[in-house]
Amino acid sequence: MKINLEVISYDFFINEDSTSTLNTKALVKNMGIRRKMTRSSKLVVELLHNIQYNDQRVIYSTGFGELQTSSKILNALITNDFVSPTDFQNSVHNTPISYSSIIYKSHKEMLTISCGDTTSKKAFKVSAIKALDGDEIVLICCDVLDIDRIREVNNTVKYLEFAAAFKLKVSDLEKTIDADDYVRDKEYSKSIDFARFLIHNMKKENKNILSIEV
Amino acid sequence: MKKNNKAYISYFDTISCGGNNAEELFQNICEKKQTISIIDDFIEGKSVALGKIPNSYDMYEELEKRCKILLEKSNIEDFSDTFLIIASSVGGMNTSEKIFFRDGDYKNIDYNHHSIDAIAYKLRNVFNFYDDVSFSTACTSAANALGYAKEVLHKGIYKNVLVIGAETLSFTTVFGFDSLSVLSSKPCKPFDISRDGMNVSEGIGIVFLQNEITDNTYVELCGVGYSSDAYHMTAPSEDGYGAKLAMQNAIDDAKIQKNQIDYINAHGTATQANDTAEINAIKSLFEGNIPFVSSTKSITGHTLGAAGAIEAIISSQAIIKGVIPPNNNLNDKITDEVFLLTQPLKKEIKYVLSNSFAFGGNNCCLVLGSVK
Repeated sequence: MKINLEVISYDFFINEDSTSTLNTKALVKNMGIRRKMTRSSKLVVELLHNIQYNDQRVIYSTGFGELQTSSKILNALITNDFVSPTDFQNSVHNTPISYSSIIYKSHKEMLTISCGDTTSKKAFKVSAIKALDGDEIVLICCDVLDIDRIREVNNTVKYLEFAAAFKLKVSDLEKTIDADDYVRDKEYSKSIDFARFLIHNMKKENKNILSIEV
Repeated sequence: MKKNNKAYISYFDTISCGGNNAEELFQNICEKKQTISIIDDFIEGKSVALGKIPNSYDMYEELEKRCKILLEKSNIEDFSDTFLIIASSVGGMNTSEKIFFRDGDYKNIDYNHHSIDAIAYKLRNVFNFYDDVSFSTACTSAANALGYAKEVLHKGIYKNVLVIGAETLSFTTVFGFDSLSVLSSKPCKPFDISRDGMNVSEGIGIVFLQNEITDNTYVELCGVGYSSDAYHMTAPSEDGYGAKLAMQNAIDDAKIQKNQIDYINAHGTATQANDTAEINAIKSLFEGNIPFVSSTKSITGHTLGAAGAIEAIISSQAIIKGVIPPNNNLNDKITDEVFLLTQPLKKEIKYVLSNSFAFGGNNCCLVLGSVK
């Protein structure tokens, strides 16, 4: 079964590391919340702002989750240090959308999926099926791999920070992007590479229609 | 979207400290057995009460074995027409911890065995599923997985869905909950005035759903309700607004009235904040007509990402057997306005509401109904 999705709006961050400055201070007025937010949470909050998030259901997808806080916890454990409660609350995969629900005061469904190498592709499938209900769905694909000693396990991925948000709805229009044309780019993590492919094939000035096989 | 297929539960299985299968678990709940272990060597200088599965338990071996048993007992020969949904909060973290604590670096950690997808990755190597997806929303992971199973069956996307909630005991979660000061050193006491925290546990819940009734179908997954608290990263709002919204959404989705709910299998972790918020949400939603309420986490412990599946199985057993499971370790109830049973009660049950709430204010409630 194929479901066509119109991309109503989208935006993304693609960076080699996590040093770029974000607009978090303007978007999150509460300093207590802002200071606790993870990098991926800040990316997601800003993307939601940029795509004019308006209380839609959100599907968040990440292959590796909160790597930074997970590694901080492991390093605390191996050195017999105390585990920070903030690190622990920030270690779950749904951390970015939880902060987002608080900041945007949304009581809507917020789902997190994590499917290894195929995460972003499967996230589009889940979003397409959810969108059959007729409402707009926001899909976010995000992986932040820029942590200390990442080179111990990574020597191919160049862009260690990727976050993209898509506002989607089911469409009867003909597809403009064929997912079957997907070609892997090794400079990106496999977990987000399908989203990267779609972004690189979308046109800002035209309607972008994706055809998703579920 | 015109299809309106039903989501029938045709098979389930589970393992946790509470029991080696669904029958044993339900019996232990009704007999109020003590199943939680007091462990002195997990956190140095401190006793913690955890839900450890007895004997040498390997989650992946157990999953493979249990899936083979499912094939023997169900009406399918293989999984080629089955969509797999995995639910876990930590996935392969336990494996990564062992390697990191041994080596002191990440070099030998295989990301395929580290991520949430690690469980599906192992199962894909043994079985031929039609497709799969893994959910990770902390303690609502399995409830969300079951909710999605209901959606895809209802929409006619797939005809068989296998939901597996699976969780191992990891140092990250035990030390993490300890850092929040919500771990009890004794078997937990949900809804008791003197409750002092939760018992982190390992466990597996396996639920096989189909769009048609089989000879083994007694329960339908009738409704699912989602919501977000939009309040705090770890604490629920005291009035339980998000929980109430998810319960209402599930009842609406099931197209029933709230007074048709016979029993609520509560999230009931036995932390001060969670139990208070959940009871307030229940009182607010059901007003003067509150169903029987119990938490079964005093027997299973809190199996985190697997909890929603294990508790859907307990709820299914309650419907099939016509028995409302009791609260265990409950001496001084936090309220007299809610009927918190302390002994099992024989009663015909048509609908059960099963609650799951998680970090970040992620809420998912399920309505399970009798197929008669």
